[in-house]
Amino acid sequence: MIFPLLRIVVGSILLASGFSKVIHPYQNFLYVVQAYQLLPGWAETLAAIVMPWVELMIGLFLVLGLWTIQVLRWALMLFAVFIVVVAQALMRVLPLDHCGCFGSWIQATPRQIIVFDSFCFLVLMVLLRHWTKTRRFSLDERFTR
Amino acid sequence: MMSKQKLTLMIVAGAVIAAVAVKVFLSLSVQSLDPSLMRVKGDLAAKVHIVEFIDFQCPACADGAFKIKKIYTLHPKDIRIEMKYFPLVTVHRHTMTASTYAECAARQGKFWPMHDLLVERQAQWSPLISAEGMFTQFAREAGVEEVTLRRCLASPDVEQTVMQDRDLGRSLGVQSTPTYFINNKMVVGSKSLMDELNQYFPQSP
Repeated sequence: MIFPLLRIVVGSILLASGFSKVIHPYQNFLYVVQAYQLLPGWAETLAAIVMPWVELMIGLFLVLGLWTIQVLRWALMLFAVFIVVVAQALMRVLPLDHCGCFGSWIQATPRQIIVFDSFCFLVLMVLLRHWTKTRRFSLDERFTR
Repeated sequence: MMSKQKLTLMIVAGAVIAAVAVKVFLSLSVQSLDPSLMRVKGDLAAKVHIVEFIDFQCPACADGAFKIKKIYTLHPKDIRIEMKYFPLVTVHRHTMTASTYAECAARQGKFWPMHDLLVERQAQWSPLISAEGMFTQFAREAGVEEVTLRRCLASPDVEQTVMQDRDLGRSLGVQSTPTYFINNKMVVGSKSLMDELNQYFPQSP
């Protein structure tokens, strides 16, 4: 029971995070991306437009449990990217008041969010390792019967 | 039974439609950017109209104000600037007070000198426990009449004006500061501001 529950919880986090950004003008998230000073200008704009949709879709598919194994791998990669991006910002002591990860809904500092992202990363690794249990209560089950 | 691929496509399409529908619904409540003449400077016929949503305690706003002031000095006839309040009260403890002082200065026709003092000396008042003494000092320097200022600060409609601006900003999708509308195009932060202004004024500072 715990594995599908964790899958749905992590999926919901990504879904809510992506949705909160998608429904607002992309310029708000662009401002967040620019604060990390990692990408050239054109890539910042691209990331600001694409990333929220990626989060939303991965979150949705995790919640529904469709293509579970593939989506778990994508989610792992996504959290790995988040961890690297926030870690480099912390190492460079960039002046970030909050991480900007959840739009304006939740404000967390980079230190708080790197702990949270690392925890989610570990949870996803466990879910991927126990993928047969993780796939319970999922749409995937309908196609494997 | 429906194939997995078909179900995937339906879910993706459903999610896109739902998100777009929410976005459209939110855009229905957008209010217009009616100018408050007390907080405007520049020619109405200027080719670039900037509406800024400002939080007086945000360091990026001070940086943006410095850049706008510089470019306005170079092209005074080409730029019209209007200021709207967007105090981030959960993050900055003095921002509401700073906004009310600026609004009371505006009602005496002294918004811009007060604005300049607030942003230029932000680093001095921002860490204070109480900044009202310093704001009163700024008001004096800006030429604001003190008795009228006190009466204005006690009036509840000042804070209401500030909150109306903030609500307008929220309806337009403003989440952080500084957010600018340059000829109605939204840009957030001073980097995007300069990228946009460079299109109108190449080699901006």
